[in-house]
Amino acid sequence: MYCNHPPEKPGDKKEVLQKITNMARANSLWVTGYGTGCGAIELRPLGTSRFDMERFGIAMRPTPRQADVLIISGYLSTKTLKRVIRVYEQIQDPKYIMALGSCTINGGMYFDSYNTLNVLDKYLPVDVYVMGCMPRPESIIDGFSLLMKKIKEGRATGWKHYKENLDYYRENQKQIIKNWDLPDYNW
Amino acid sequence: MIDKVKKELEIRFPLLKLVREQHNYLHVKVGATSAMDAVLTAKTSLGFTTLQLISAVDWMENNAFQVTWILENYSEQEVLLISAYFPRKNCVVPSLSQIWPAASAFEREIYEMFGISFPGNPREGEDFLLEGWKDIPPMRRDFETEEYAMRTFGERQPREHIDPRQYIGDVVGEWNTPMGRNREEEK
Repeated sequence: MYCNHPPEKPGDKKEVLQKITNMARANSLWVTGYGTGCGAIELRPLGTSRFDMERFGIAMRPTPRQADVLIISGYLSTKTLKRVIRVYEQIQDPKYIMALGSCTINGGMYFDSYNTLNVLDKYLPVDVYVMGCMPRPESIIDGFSLLMKKIKEGRATGWKHYKENLDYYRENQKQIIKNWDLPDYNW
Repeated sequence: MIDKVKKELEIRFPLLKLVREQHNYLHVKVGATSAMDAVLTAKTSLGFTTLQLISAVDWMENNAFQVTWILENYSEQEVLLISAYFPRKNCVVPSLSQIWPAASAFEREIYEMFGISFPGNPREGEDFLLEGWKDIPPMRRDFETEEYAMRTFGERQPREHIDPRQYIGDVVGEWNTPMGRNREEEK
């Protein structure tokens, strides 16, 4: 059921084509509906009429297969990290990670907890950090506009980095997930 | 109504201590050997048919674990807490999962967090929150959380500190002396 070969390196398109596709990608960011920590609370108001993220073309999706963006909302426990890796690797190829809150940057107030990881960037490639504890919906929208800008300029290449440095990320992931039973290539 | 419950319990068991009592709330401590009897009598003859929670506290100084069963009588709106001390080394507490199926989850969690064994629970030892945990149980007081976090998740990077003196120089020196005192000296 799983893929048993390492990921293929993404080919480069022509520059003109790339600009057009990046434009299209930036204006239809679909988000996986997966909340890992307390920040998921701030994602709910984004969908309501007050903040209304659909005006930017951002929508929530029930499955990772239809999504582009994975939001790591706040602290991440080692048990959840395993599920997050599964979700992230199931997302189709241009995929971006947005990390909310100070917990994802350096552990935040849970830096000495036995079960929450400190630096998210060691385990998954982060494209945009949104600071705050927790960030208000306005700052999440700000983070989205930064992500759109990065995509349009072609700088949001975390997914390429993940593919090229898969060994590094796997090593870090296996260090803290004690009962590793995922296949090595699962997309 | 809680007076009746208290009298019944006092007749049947030697209550070690009555901790707290209100019109609908009673907390009693019983001996470790009669704890199960007390819980079962409360269920069968006193009408406390709902198990709300099983909790544990580590009293390292007294070399004991305190296990508390919180029971509720829904029709009378009464809450009964029965707690008992168990020796800390190789702690074994009888399981209630055959009587209340909900007790199974609480007992699995306590087994994982404190290492208290509940023989008779068919799902004991299954992974609950900490998957593949190899250290001593993390809620024990002799577990050093911060040291463990530093060891597994890496040290938290300190914030880059910028000294304003480097940039503004002498002005800071003037600020440090309270202006009021200088003026007084001049006079």
